[in-house]
Amino acid sequence: MNTPIKIYIPNETASNSVGAIEAHRTISRLKGIEEARIIRNGSWGAFWLEPFIEVEKEGHRKGVCYKSVDLSTFNTIDDFLKDFESRQPFDIREIDFIKKQKRIVFSRIGMDDPLDISFYQNSGGYSALKNALNLDQQTIIDKIKKSGLTGRGGAAFPTGIKMQTVSDQDNSLKYLACNADEGDGGTFSDRLIMESDPFALIEGMTIAAFAVGASKGFIYLRSEYPLAKTYLTRAIEIARKNNFLGKNIQSSDFDFDIDLRIGAGSYVCGEETAMMESIEGRRGLVRSKPPLPAINGLFDRPTLINNVVTLATIPPLLNGSHSDFSDLGSGKSTGTMPFQLCGNIQQSGLVETGFDITIGEIIENYGKGTKTGMPIHAIQIGGPLGIYLSSKMMSTKLTIESLQTIKGSVGHGGIVIFDDTVDMSEQAKFAMEFCAKESCGKCTPCRIGSIRGVEIIDRLQKNSSSKEDSILLNELCKTMEATSLCAMGGMTPNPIYSIINNFPNELIDE
Amino acid sequence: MKKLKETIKSFTEIEGGLMPALHAVQEQEGHISKNAISELAHAFNYSKAEVLDVLTYYDDFTLEPSGEHVIRVCGAEACQSLKSKELTDLLTDHFGLNLGETTSDSKITLKEVFCLGNCALGPSVMINQTVIGEADKDKVLSFLDNIE
Repeated sequence: MNTPIKIYIPNETASNSVGAIEAHRTISRLKGIEEARIIRNGSWGAFWLEPFIEVEKEGHRKGVCYKSVDLSTFNTIDDFLKDFESRQPFDIREIDFIKKQKRIVFSRIGMDDPLDISFYQNSGGYSALKNALNLDQQTIIDKIKKSGLTGRGGAAFPTGIKMQTVSDQDNSLKYLACNADEGDGGTFSDRLIMESDPFALIEGMTIAAFAVGASKGFIYLRSEYPLAKTYLTRAIEIARKNNFLGKNIQSSDFDFDIDLRIGAGSYVCGEETAMMESIEGRRGLVRSKPPLPAINGLFDRPTLINNVVTLATIPPLLNGSHSDFSDLGSGKSTGTMPFQLCGNIQQSGLVETGFDITIGEIIENYGKGTKTGMPIHAIQIGGPLGIYLSSKMMSTKLTIESLQTIKGSVGHGGIVIFDDTVDMSEQAKFAMEFCAKESCGKCTPCRIGSIRGVEIIDRLQKNSSSKEDSILLNELCKTMEATSLCAMGGMTPNPIYSIINNFPNELIDE
Repeated sequence: MKKLKETIKSFTEIEGGLMPALHAVQEQEGHISKNAISELAHAFNYSKAEVLDVLTYYDDFTLEPSGEHVIRVCGAEACQSLKSKELTDLLTDHFGLNLGETTSDSKITLKEVFCLGNCALGPSVMINQTVIGEADKDKVLSFLDNIE
């Protein structure tokens, strides 16, 4: 008997947003479809090609971008396959965008059904956990320390050190909280893991919990990600059924389970202390530190808090590809980083690569030019609390250290491209507006400073040569930076400084 | 009435149950009514003011019912780079609404959202639970026609 043809139609937010749902509906109703097998895979992260539909025949897998194609004229599977062949299908793994990347954490996305736990295990999944359960907990923490992994959520704190602190606490109950409140504009790497490889996150959480002695895990997921909620809910159930969560995991004496909690539309709940407040059922107000969450966190217990990508990095790190990861880069910028190339750019999507790359190289090698065909004018790196680079700064390296020297940060790895129709004074104003809308309101510099900031920039937009307002804006920014309780107010000035410095005469006349 | 009590009850036994309880009530009733606030306060042993204090912090919880369809236009940076402001203006004009308002026939609520994680295919609009990428006014309106 011939192996049936496989048709891969992604079920992932970006693919669905440009037609994958309709494509699946149409293809699954074609006459003769029962002879083929439809697989709802994740996305490969080459989003400009979505909806990317692949056909696998006799082991050869090729795909076609079906954006804006009306499939409803086809009646039979043969109509579809004939059309598919006429569109010059290609193997997505062979295109430069994918081939040039160093995919370690995102090695599995796009390949198969994200909820197929056999596929997960056959592609190396859960071997790291099985090994870890036979190791001394300190050995695992030492390995993570040695790997050089730093938090990918934004603050880039060494993951192993954080784990050590939690591990060192003598407490009968410890928690693990996964921060899946990916709120930075221009980022989607956490979403992509949760929708296209959710077991990687669950395995990473389980290993981290075992290493630090946590018995209960929370995932705090933003409500703007309904599909990720569906995937995680099912993946947690499947992991439980297969004894990868729950009591005596894989016949060990380790118990661990995960509770999925949904945010409610607050950006600042991505800040770890506000996240804890929200999980505990209160307003998402930032707590002052100390105490560190690692010592006194959720429900006053020691709590390990990491973001999705950081936790999903743990299994491949422990899985023998350790040196592949740690030999890349140096210092805080060790290993791979999933950069998210988006906004006004032709080839948008997820680029997992070492940090040791310039913004110019990322754009040239992966993104190509703007979608609108106009020249690039500004590039935002690191989300709303990051900075804007001008088109003259293409040689800027994307390492954490290099961006720090220009008051920037890699943050969560978002890279947003703007063409020359952008008004940089509007971007500066947006930084303050966003802070005003999303401030938790606990500290004055953030709550009131942001509103005064909007007003000053409003005046500068009418009179950009006002010395008085330019001095006032600078003083306000300095105050917010020095006196805000958390990064929200403390780093909101960063995009504004960068616009003043890198875009002369666009907000303030020199 | 009893159903609301039951919905809430299942969350009182879990750690930090108020947030999931609020989500469940919002989903079931379309908003958090005065009655629901009393029920929540009673179930969690809070004052009504404490429940109100929590729920008013979060955009997702509303004291009034939203329209039958909730349209959220993304206003974050990646969508700005692809003219989400213009799209927002077209939609506010079309429906005759400001952001955050609901049409008088209770059909449409128009809101702003900051990031749907669809930044590679902006501008993005979420209608109820569905994200529309590379959105324009026509795409939004024809999506609404199809679900009507």
